Amino acid sequence: MSKPLIEIQNVTFQYPGSDVRVLNGANLIVEEGEFLAIIGGNGSGKSTICKLMNGLIPHFYVGEFEGEVISNGHITTTHDVATLSKSIGYVYQDFENQLLRPTVLDDASFVPLNYGLSDFKERGKWALQVTGLTHLANEFVWQLSGGQKHLLALAGAIAMRPKVLIVDEPVAQLDPQHAKRIYDVLRTLNEEYGMTIIVIEHHTEFIAEYCKSVALMDQGKVLWKKDVREALCSVEDLISRQIFPPQVTMAAHYLNRDTAYPITIEEAVAYFQLNLPAHTFLPESVKTENSAVLAVKNATVSYKTLQKQMKKALNNVSATFHKGDQIALVGNNGAGKSSLLKLLTGIVRPTEGSIELFGKTLKKISPEILSNDVAFVFQNAEEMFIDDSVRKEIEFYLKARKVENATALVDQILEDFDLTSLQHQDARLLSGGQQRRVSLAIGAAMRPSVVILDEPTANLDIATKNKVVLMLQRLKKHVDTIIVATHDMQLVAEWANRILVMHQGELIADDTSEVIFNQQEILNCAGLVPPQIVTLCHELNLPHCATIEVFLDCWRQVEQRGVLVGN
Amino acid sequence: MLKERYVLTQSQKMMVFILSMCLYGLSNMFTELVPSVNIGPIELQIDCFAFIPLALCMLFHPLYAAIGASTGELIFGELMLGQFGGIDELEKFILFSLGMCIGGMIIRNAQSRSQVAMGAIAGYGIFLVLSTIVDIVKVVIGVEDFEAVPGLAESIYVVEGVEFLTDLIFSGTLFALLPTLYLVPRLYGKIEPLLGMKPRSNKANYQINEIITPKFVLMSLVLSVIAFLATTLAELDIEIGVWEPEFVDTYGTQVIWIVIGVAALCSIAIIAYLLKKGKDSSKEDMSNIV
Amino acid sequence: METSKLLNEKFSLEYVKGELVRTAYSTEVNLLTKLDPRVLLIWYSYFAIVPWFIHSHVVLIGYLLFMIFLTYKAKVSPLILVVLGLGLLTEMGIIFLISLLFGGNFETVLPMFWLSIKLGGISLASVAVFTSLNPEKFSDALLRMGFPSAFSFSVAYGYRILPTLLEEFQQIILSYRLRGQAPSKNGIFYWRKLAYYLIVFIRSFYPLILNTAKRSRTTVEALETKGFSYAAKDSEMIKLKTGYLKLTYIDYSFMMISVLYLIIVHALHFVL
Repeated sequence: MSKPLIEIQNVTFQYPGSDVRVLNGANLIVEEGEFLAIIGGNGSGKSTICKLMNGLIPHFYVGEFEGEVISNGHITTTHDVATLSKSIGYVYQDFENQLLRPTVLDDASFVPLNYGLSDFKERGKWALQVTGLTHLANEFVWQLSGGQKHLLALAGAIAMRPKVLIVDEPVAQLDPQHAKRIYDVLRTLNEEYGMTIIVIEHHTEFIAEYCKSVALMDQGKVLWKKDVREALCSVEDLISRQIFPPQVTMAAHYLNRDTAYPITIEEAVAYFQLNLPAHTFLPESVKTENSAVLAVKNATVSYKTLQKQMKKALNNVSATFHKGDQIALVGNNGAGKSSLLKLLTGIVRPTEGSIELFGKTLKKISPEILSNDVAFVFQNAEEMFIDDSVRKEIEFYLKARKVENATALVDQILEDFDLTSLQHQDARLLSGGQQRRVSLAIGAAMRPSVVILDEPTANLDIATKNKVVLMLQRLKKHVDTIIVATHDMQLVAEWANRILVMHQGELIADDTSEVIFNQQEILNCAGLVPPQIVTLCHELNLPHCATIEVFLDCWRQVEQRGVLVGN
Repeated sequence: MLKERYVLTQSQKMMVFILSMCLYGLSNMFTELVPSVNIGPIELQIDCFAFIPLALCMLFHPLYAAIGASTGELIFGELMLGQFGGIDELEKFILFSLGMCIGGMIIRNAQSRSQVAMGAIAGYGIFLVLSTIVDIVKVVIGVEDFEAVPGLAESIYVVEGVEFLTDLIFSGTLFALLPTLYLVPRLYGKIEPLLGMKPRSNKANYQINEIITPKFVLMSLVLSVIAFLATTLAELDIEIGVWEPEFVDTYGTQVIWIVIGVAALCSIAIIAYLLKKGKDSSKEDMSNIV
Repeated sequence: METSKLLNEKFSLEYVKGELVRTAYSTEVNLLTKLDPRVLLIWYSYFAIVPWFIHSHVVLIGYLLFMIFLTYKAKVSPLILVVLGLGLLTEMGIIFLISLLFGGNFETVLPMFWLSIKLGGISLASVAVFTSLNPEKFSDALLRMGFPSAFSFSVAYGYRILPTLLEEFQQIILSYRLRGQAPSKNGIFYWRKLAYYLIVFIRSFYPLILNTAKRSRTTVEALETKGFSYAAKDSEMIKLKTGYLKLTYIDYSFMMISVLYLIIVHALHFVL
């Protein structure tokens, strides 16, 4: 029999200096052995409720606290964080700051060492083995890739073999392959080692595949906690709180409103089965007629590693970017995406090859020269904030160049990106989605021909992500060409009209999403996972549909035709 | 009305410490690498970006910010670059922390420009005065019969004095005063919420005896005693390590040569032993690998 | 034009970053790295303090020779040695020149020369010891000798966070470069450019301070959840962590040789 491991009873919490109750009478019971997903919109109190469990609230975050939390038999108000953390592992969303030791094994065995366990090394090694990092045990932490760092943060949290493991947004910053790997590890921990896993997650597709139960939070309360299937099929509940169930579930929901929807792609294939004759649709390829804006020709970029060896980050890459192009640059971590972006913005110089701007080869390449025509929006928006208000951030470029009419221009941009009301606030204190908007506005204010965005949807919840697509459309008004490096295939499918696929420093494909999502070879090679709806169409032998709406139209048409044919 | 005391939790102190350590440490790595410009005896160099610890000392608890900064210099600027100077660094650690801490302590209102300017100059100035004194004392200790050497004392005073003045005027303005004035009012009220604490308001006050704890007093006492002893020792012309045993007169120099011989033989024996052992162990290593 | 190119190359942040990271993380094995750090520290405290009070020329030269030998064995980078040597020489030169104004003569240089020998010995001792002392070991030794655990943690944390900090700093500087406007003229001695970059450098600390503040909060939070404060109360942890520090025959031999060498040098004082 399972017994409650964590009991949260009627908890109210208010951060100091804020007049909003983040938690407002929250109740939650977590049983031993659960694999629970906590979902909810921004500011619904997801992270806060998790910080109750190991006593960070009210010990570390001192605020107005009411109610009672019993965690693994301890009342959290009377035990300190260190004691409670003995049986609770916590992996942060910004997991990088959680890695505190220089080398990998060191970090993994840090917790058991702190608790004075003599077998701390063995525990660390075990944790590395479970997370598949054993071969990196003696590396420096900063030499790891993003995905490996996340696994290490996980290893550090499980080295004590805690009863509960809390993971905040495991896949927000990872490419699909690494995300899957993380979840596989979590499943192993849950099934083989009996750990209770709690994740905060936006990606309902992962919830459908891995989790057993789901708790929905809204305005500081836990609305309900349900079995995963039942939870994901409560489509109305979810959508009204800006949470989007798996695409297949949504599609089924829009078609006929019962409650037994498919939640995984396998179920969806059976659910939507039409018995259509196998039919190949000829996907449309890229047609380029517009004039070229920016181009790289046979560019190779090499750099020196710590061991003083030369390594090629880019190998003989050629690509031309035209007016009107909406380009998505995809590929795994380390495939060379960021090197290409840096090359295009002049931050790195090509070891061989050249860059052309408006058909002219650049003789001298530097970020200062290229920044007049190419704007670079960083992945981490905070790194773009160099002044103390949104308005000043946006006008920085114009002021430095003493542009006339700067005020009017800035006003217009603030208007376009819905920032007028926020213009005097410090950008660092805004929410993730607002920060992203500011960073796009900064890019637009540079009045470039080309805007390059690095991972514009990373770390955003799905609702905000959808807004980014809208923002990209507004951005289009200001510039000729937009290049986006991303892992987010939904963004790719919905927005891009051309995709460049990178793999090991080389450009392996350059075509429309329709073409690329149909080439299994390229998908496997670059580690791409198309959006569910695209895969579904492919499985059902329907033509390519980038969005749910297109799919619905298409499916209705086909169904009617099927009915007419009398099948 | 009771004065509200400026109290930080243990973890908030740690945050201030880490923040100060990272930032000042990073800036220190750059100052270590930037070459200095010599104009005659006047050396124009970026000695340190004192504005970072100064600003943090003014915004947060001065003691933790100051010690954090010094630790940062020690770790980033010295240890990691392999330039740790040993005892010298220890001395700088204490003097710098002291200066910055005082600079932060005399501020009552971080939004008043005049107070910030005063704090910046005082903090950096105190550090410079103290280190100039220590530098002079070092030469006094290090040189035999310091006073008797013609012109030495004067030239040391001139060199140190000029260095003090250029540092105060050049670094003091460019890297302590102006940037602090730029940063503190901008950061005030904005950075504290990021660390989950309330701004140091001009009403809220930390008590002096919280900073000047018994431990602090004890430490400064011990250090002053050591410094005093060192100086007097030098004055008294006592040479540690060089004693004149009576048997030199009694037995003559032969005994000394014998002592040297024996010591040398012992050393050679140990070295021989080490070499043999070294070979064995490297063989073992090899066989382990094979 | 050439100099500006060189300046650009040398002072590109990428270059500085590469150099820093290489220096900080390269570990080479030498004679001294095999020693227990505690032995090295005790040994060092003798050779850093005692020479100040020694005025015997024989003994000072003896110390210097010993240090030169160890510096050679410790494979100290020649660059550091050159900088060290130049520093001592110019200091001596300047003081000599100024002392001429105050009626000094060659006799003034002589005591300065011996002071330089003394300082040279002390500095070489530092260089030799601290280039071969892995900071991790160093902090563990301090921890074992009773220093606060926060210091030991900070050393390790410094190594962990440096690349992240550099990366972030580089990005912020890049933001300034991409959006700001460098002066088009260089000015005499590049002063315009230098001033511009200096201002950018200083201003970039404003965002950096704020971003780092956010990070330190998470770091301390993570420290809590990782039981660090639990460990701080516990002396068992220190023993566990530093359990690998053990005195071996190499340590004993090193100490004995040092003592014997000291005996020889001090004895020589009487006969030479």
